[in-house]
Amino acid sequence: MSGSTSWTGESRAREHELLRLLVTAVHDRAVIRDELVTMHLPLVRHLARKYADRGEPFEDLLQVGTIGLITAIDRYDVERGNELSTFATPYITGEIRRHFRDKAWSVRVPRGLQELQAPLREATDRLTRELQRSPTVGELSAALNVPEDVVLDAMEARHSYSASSLDQELEAGTFALPSIDTALDRIDERETLGPLLEALSPRDRQIITRRFFDEWSQRQIADELGISQMHVSRILARTLEQLRAQLQEPAD
Amino acid sequence: MSGPDEVRLSFEADTRNISLARTVAAAMAARADLPVDQLEDARLAVDEAVSQIIVAAPAGAEVVCIMSAEPGSLSITVSAPGTHEPSRTTFSWTVLNALVDSLDVQLADGRLTFMLLIERADVDA
Repeated sequence: MSGSTSWTGESRAREHELLRLLVTAVHDRAVIRDELVTMHLPLVRHLARKYADRGEPFEDLLQVGTIGLITAIDRYDVERGNELSTFATPYITGEIRRHFRDKAWSVRVPRGLQELQAPLREATDRLTRELQRSPTVGELSAALNVPEDVVLDAMEARHSYSASSLDQELEAGTFALPSIDTALDRIDERETLGPLLEALSPRDRQIITRRFFDEWSQRQIADELGISQMHVSRILARTLEQLRAQLQEPAD
Repeated sequence: MSGPDEVRLSFEADTRNISLARTVAAAMAARADLPVDQLEDARLAVDEAVSQIIVAAPAGAEVVCIMSAEPGSLSITVSAPGTHEPSRTTFSWTVLNALVDSLDVQLADGRLTFMLLIERADVDA
């Protein structure tokens, strides 16, 4: 079975019934939606298969494709009258593509930028030692003999590493665990923020505390932990984004 | 090029636009000749300021972001329609304040403006 082409008139009638029910349903929305999702899983499988040979587990593609399907079901307008499968297809492929964009950086980062990663890291480390500070993009450009905008692109590409490849980087250093209690005293959201900071890994918590409460530079933090400044920067960006999202969630 | 090197961005108050502003901030930090750790700070600072201003702005409002690079310094203003100043005791403010050398907020004519300045740390004043 592929897509909805092999559907009988009976299943099509059932689909229309469910979609109409969904408009007015209050309590059973999840049940109705589940049945619609199940009906269209072959479509998700069909679309996911097109991306199956690109290095991501097929199960993951099915999962994100299903998220796209659910979004489509929620946004589907019965009055419009087009087929749900037609309507849902761009949502499903959109989620799958987004998954590649977010997770599988090797799929989207041009080869030249990938190949520049190791030289960029080496040049950054060497220049940092020589200059006793972080190099500028201009200095990296001169050292690598590539234009400044290519250096910038390579740095940006590095931000697209998935969380798992981040965590595969060296885990070094000991964590002094600065007290966050005193730092939190000045913050309005301390009661929400405290537990969120506690829940971070000791390394991530130390990086956040050093940068934002102790106001150390990224360079100083990198030296203390024995990791690269680029790594510090990525952990800061990731952790901040996570904290911001958690702080904006309405309290239960 | 004479005078400061300036770029103006204008976009709808939508979180999808944050990454745009962030990327331009990194490029402008490079033009200001900031070391890469401060370049990354500029990226985070713009992220934080634009996020704050989008949360406070009415839906569909226009956000204007002006970035001006001079040798060793990058100044950034982010503005949108707004009616009150942000609290200076939030986590977000603490983060923003730690990322920049100077941080100020202005509320005038129904617009809220964040003014950020990042200066190269190792250069003698």
